[in-house]
Amino acid sequence: MRSKRNADVILAVSVTAIIAVTVVFLLFPVIVTAFMAFDAREFIGPFPPTDLSTQWFVKFWNSGYLWSGFKNSVQLAVAVTVVATAMGASAGLAISRMSPRWRDLTTTAFLSPLVLPGVIIGFALLMFLSVFNVLPVFPRLLCGHLIVTIPYTIRMTLVGLTGISATLVEAASSLGANERQAFFTITLPLAKNGIAAGAIFAFAFSMDDVTISLFLSDYDTYTFPVALVGLIRSHFELTIAAAAVALMGLTVVLLLALDRVLGLERVIGQGVYRT
Amino acid sequence: MSVLNLKDITKKYGELAAVDGISLDMERGKVLSLLGPSGCGKTTTLRIIAGFTSPDTGTVEIAGKDVGHLRPYERNVGLLFQDYALFPHMTVAENVAYGMRHRGTPTSEITTRVLRMLSLVQLTGMEARRPHQLSGGQQQRVALARALAIDPQILLLDEPLSALDAKLRLELRLELKEILRSVGATTIVVTHDQEEALTLGDEVVVMNAGKIAQRGTPTQIYEAPADKFVAEFVGRSNWFHASKRSQSTDGLTSYVADDGLEIRTRASRPDSEGGVDLCVRPEDIELVDGTAPESAPSPEHNVLAGVVLDVAPLGADVHVVIELPGKSRLLAIRKNVGRGSEILPGQSVRALFSASDVLVFQR
Ligand SMILES: Nc1ncnc2c1ncn2[C@@H]1O[C@H](COP(=O)(O)OP(=O)(O)OP(=O)(O)O)[C@@H](O)[C@H]1O
Ligand SMILES: [Mg+2]
Repeated sequence: MRSKRNADVILAVSVTAIIAVTVVFLLFPVIVTAFMAFDAREFIGPFPPTDLSTQWFVKFWNSGYLWSGFKNSVQLAVAVTVVATAMGASAGLAISRMSPRWRDLTTTAFLSPLVLPGVIIGFALLMFLSVFNVLPVFPRLLCGHLIVTIPYTIRMTLVGLTGISATLVEAASSLGANERQAFFTITLPLAKNGIAAGAIFAFAFSMDDVTISLFLSDYDTYTFPVALVGLIRSHFELTIAAAAVALMGLTVVLLLALDRVLGLERVIGQGVYRT
Repeated sequence: MSVLNLKDITKKYGELAAVDGISLDMERGKVLSLLGPSGCGKTTTLRIIAGFTSPDTGTVEIAGKDVGHLRPYERNVGLLFQDYALFPHMTVAENVAYGMRHRGTPTSEITTRVLRMLSLVQLTGMEARRPHQLSGGQQQRVALARALAIDPQILLLDEPLSALDAKLRLELRLELKEILRSVGATTIVVTHDQEEALTLGDEVVVMNAGKIAQRGTPTQIYEAPADKFVAEFVGRSNWFHASKRSQSTDGLTSYVADDGLEIRTRASRPDSEGGVDLCVRPEDIELVDGTAPESAPSPEHNVLAGVVLDVAPLGADVHVVIELPGKSRLLAIRKNVGRGSEILPGQSVRALFSASDVLVFQR
């Protein structure tokens, strides 16, 4: 009895410890970055900043180079999110209605871009698009990001749909709803959370990606992460920290907005409805 | 006029005929139990009536009209699914209102009807709950209210109580019966629980391997089963196989069972190659103390001497297993009358049953 109970206590303590370590590990860099962004020193000094100021934010605001990348990235991410969500959700809903054999085949085909490293996708797209040389840079970036994000939005839609029993649609049908009505009143509302999770992922990926964007950007049109990489190469200073904090702020605002619309804990936590 | 008329319905999945030439008609307001073992085609039959599955051959008529070309939402058939299929993102009231919304019922009427339906299934006050906040029994009732709310021409219930635990099943079974009677819904209840079938149905249809084995009132099904399958499937039974008949006198026929026991019966069947199967219901068997002096038996009665092997008091009934001389066993069910008349394992007893209680089936 005793030893059993002791084992329980040890287990509980270690689980708590692991969680604590993980949280520190994940959050510490973020906290450091946030503090450094407000550093008043002109150089990168040791950690706790001696004085605080907003000089790096002002620099970021005034840096045409970063700001242009930031605007490009936001526009691109919005476009990617809209297109990837629409296409991924449609494909996911279509796949979910296929017979099991075709469903597996199609899912595998649609998810295949995920196994290719971003470098290869970026390079391949660059080659392909240079040969035909038809698209301006922005649509090129859009294509590159869509290749990776659409598999995710499909996947998330499918995940959102599993757990919705097929009899729900049949029940709707027997109650008098035709296929279109059943789709809009039953299937779509229930798949909503999966679709939303896919959309969040698409946005985050697009804001974050370097490998693919690096190949597809050019001197005039580049994304925010590409601009940051360029800046680190040329002169390493804390404008980058300020930019990172701005990005975090944007993410939080977006998540809050989503929360108002859908209910955040459902989108991120529950994901799938249970009956 | 019959509300539902199935004519010679067949549905095959590959080589297997899930439904094999079923014809069935139903009158308005009647409750029909569809009883059969797992996989005999009960659900398939319901799905064909509801329009989710189209039959290979045969026609489905509802209120005299062939509905073969109508989609499920164009028919007026209420369906209660085995897993209830409540919409998880809607409240109880929205679930019940769903059918009326899509059938063009005016909004004002919907609200009052939702309340009426919920009071019918005793869920008043639960309008705002979500399905996951309800117990299994409550979910079942919401599903029933939802199916009844559209005032269907036919109500189909697919194993409505199977997801519930034994005690709740019993309660809800009676409640369901009352609700069905009070709304007068023409209903088919699918079940593989014979008690459920016999309690709920005005009539019972026993299915076996895609075919209808027998249709009749609960009493007919139980007391005059059409064949060995029905007799075995509905109720408990003791079986003897007899290959030869010894004699017939005064309308009584004697068979000699394979283990040498002689059994007399009122039912007469022509001889057949494989012999006959004799069936005695356990509650038709009376047990008397084997040591008591034997009174002269009337020819009407069968008397088998044996030894009690096992006694199981199951509430109101006591199940007694007796070993007969030929090592075959006999189950007798007697009322649990209490002290003084207990039968104990090892005791020698005589089993008495009337010749008219012996059913005879040809092989
Ligand atoms: N869509 C299908 N594809 C292939 N076979 C099917 C399909 N639906 C049913 N069957 C087969 O048809 C037969 C009858 O099935 P059905 O679901 O009607 O049985 P049931 O009487 O409802 O059984 P249960 O009591 O287990 O629910 C079964 O053998 C089943 O395997
Ligand atoms: Mg079934």
